[in-house]
Amino acid sequence: MTQSPGHPVIPRLGETLLALATVVFGVLVIWQTTLIRLTPAYSKVGPRVIPYIVGAGLVLVGLWLAVEALTGRAAVGSSDSEDADPTLPTDWRTVGLLALALLAYLVLIERAGFIIASAVLFVWAAIAMGSRRYVRDIAIGVIMATVLFLIFNRGLGLDLPAGVLAGIV
Amino acid sequence: MQAFADLARGFEVALTPENLGWALIGVLLGTAVGVLPGIGPALTVALLLPVTYKLAPISAFIMFAGIYYGGMYGGSTTSILLNTPGESASIVTAIEGNQMARRGRGAAALATAAIGSFVAGTVGTIGLTFLAPFMVQIGLKFGPAEYFALVVLAFTTITALLGSSLARGLLSLFLGLALGLVGIDTLSGQSRFTFGIPQLLDGIDVVTVAVGLFAVGETFWVASRMRHDPDQIIPVKGTVWMTRQEWARSWKPWLRGTAIGFPIGSLPAGGAEIPTFLSYALEKRLSKHPEEFGKGAIEGVAGPEAANNASAAGVLAPLLTLGLPTSATAAILLAAFQRYGLNPGPTLFQQDPELVWGLIASLYIGNVMLLVLNLPLAGVWVRLLAIPRPLLYAAILVFAGLGTYGMSGSAVDLVVLYALGALGFAMRRFDIPVAPAVVGVILGPVAEDHFRRALQIAQGNYATFVTRPISAAILVLAALALIAPVAIRWWQSRRTLTPVPPSPVEP
Repeated sequence: MTQSPGHPVIPRLGETLLALATVVFGVLVIWQTTLIRLTPAYSKVGPRVIPYIVGAGLVLVGLWLAVEALTGRAAVGSSDSEDADPTLPTDWRTVGLLALALLAYLVLIERAGFIIASAVLFVWAAIAMGSRRYVRDIAIGVIMATVLFLIFNRGLGLDLPAGVLAGIV
Repeated sequence: MQAFADLARGFEVALTPENLGWALIGVLLGTAVGVLPGIGPALTVALLLPVTYKLAPISAFIMFAGIYYGGMYGGSTTSILLNTPGESASIVTAIEGNQMARRGRGAAALATAAIGSFVAGTVGTIGLTFLAPFMVQIGLKFGPAEYFALVVLAFTTITALLGSSLARGLLSLFLGLALGLVGIDTLSGQSRFTFGIPQLLDGIDVVTVAVGLFAVGETFWVASRMRHDPDQIIPVKGTVWMTRQEWARSWKPWLRGTAIGFPIGSLPAGGAEIPTFLSYALEKRLSKHPEEFGKGAIEGVAGPEAANNASAAGVLAPLLTLGLPTSATAAILLAAFQRYGLNPGPTLFQQDPELVWGLIASLYIGNVMLLVLNLPLAGVWVRLLAIPRPLLYAAILVFAGLGTYGMSGSAVDLVVLYALGALGFAMRRFDIPVAPAVVGVILGPVAEDHFRRALQIAQGNYATFVTRPISAAILVLAALALIAPVAIRWWQSRRTLTPVPPSPVEP
């Protein structure tokens, strides 16, 4: 298999896993479909018909992808993004740090409130992605989170949680 | 003519000071968010949905009209001043526009894009005004079988026209369809794929899907392989006014781009990419300066940008008259309608003409506002491009959380959002297009509804889809949309195998 210059050789393993995952997902959809309760009145075209079609479609697409993977049609990552270079290898450290930032947001949003959760997410994500001007980032994060909270809760009628800052803002 | 009377009523609604204000805010927000790298028109609309959450429907949709056109315009600024397009419809704009900017004609590229967008947007909106009542008449005659066939046509065209391979497009579509199945089945009342989680009974919101796949997925994709030498922003120098020669070279491409973009956009089949590519190819063929193409030919910006905007106006025709979104952006607009309990389609024109025609009227107004604002404000938009990337993407994550949690107030939706973000990341890694999934999520339940209603009418006879002539014809078109690109590629690869005499070198 030849690769055009400038693109890294992505092992076909990834493609094979994609095909396998698609087939497994399709089988799961079909299995879950068998568990949908049927009401007698709808026995002809009931709630299971379309899910079966979707599940079968996924299995077929998975098989098609398997054929493509085995015949060596490996994809390079999407080149639509402005800031991503699809030829680089995956930087798992940054990805992991970002995932932790989202986890922190999930934990904080209902306990500490929107402002703290958003400020923490902003600063953490910015630093994870390489920003090194900590004071500026913290200032922007806190101000942005507070302003958004006030605009959306006071002006636009949303109900974002105030959390531990309830009574202050 | 009835269309004029309806439109006049629409202007009465749209021209109140309050609604003009919402239109202005929509245009400004849409452009500002659309300019930001990594945010295309679909995500612009999705991220700004919470802003309209508590507005009256008419004000909300007038604002949306501004956001929609503003987001389209903002995207073209990004592709001209940064070399890399944020969405596939901007690829050709990026080619020629960026070359123009490198040669010190960035201001003229922005101007021809802005004026071309205005011309195309206005002509396209006029087209929408006259086409819509006609399509409503057709839509009223369609039964569930025909609607089902139309949705299938939208599915196959969106899938076949996007992405690097048909298998990948289909995978994206089926992922969207599977996500769309989650929740209570409207016809039988049974819950499906909810795994006992009560928050999933309402289904997965298409806005959550769009924000997860586009915003969170994109952020992770960028984080995983950030460019170490970021694209240089080319400063806009010189006058924003085009020279006489640039005007002379622009106006025909604007009109031709519009003529290509609007009809293709208004077909109940997807894709803003096709008209832009067609327009580019046409301008290259007709140009007196074909040697300039690839090096900053103004026709290559004027034509495709007009085509892009005209098709954006065209896409609203099937959306408003048939309830059929044919782009990811239109899918999110449909979700916005549903949030207000409104179902776009022929009946909406009869039940709520003020809303529909107020929306169409505000498209005209938004276009004028964009033209007036964007030429002088070009410098401001350019500065948005200079936002440090870590801060930009950190802010995108904050807004994604705000939109999702703010709408539902449920942490379960955040978990769904982040899971979809992981899926979006994987889809980018394997070069799987995202738009078919977004359209699949919202149109899947629609397709199922029509499918089962059609079968109930036909008493379970599956042949109903092929024995009704219109339904059968549309289904044949849908099949052709899938088969034709494969057949053409096969035919071309056969042709290139036979020796081709070397083409004469052009003088």
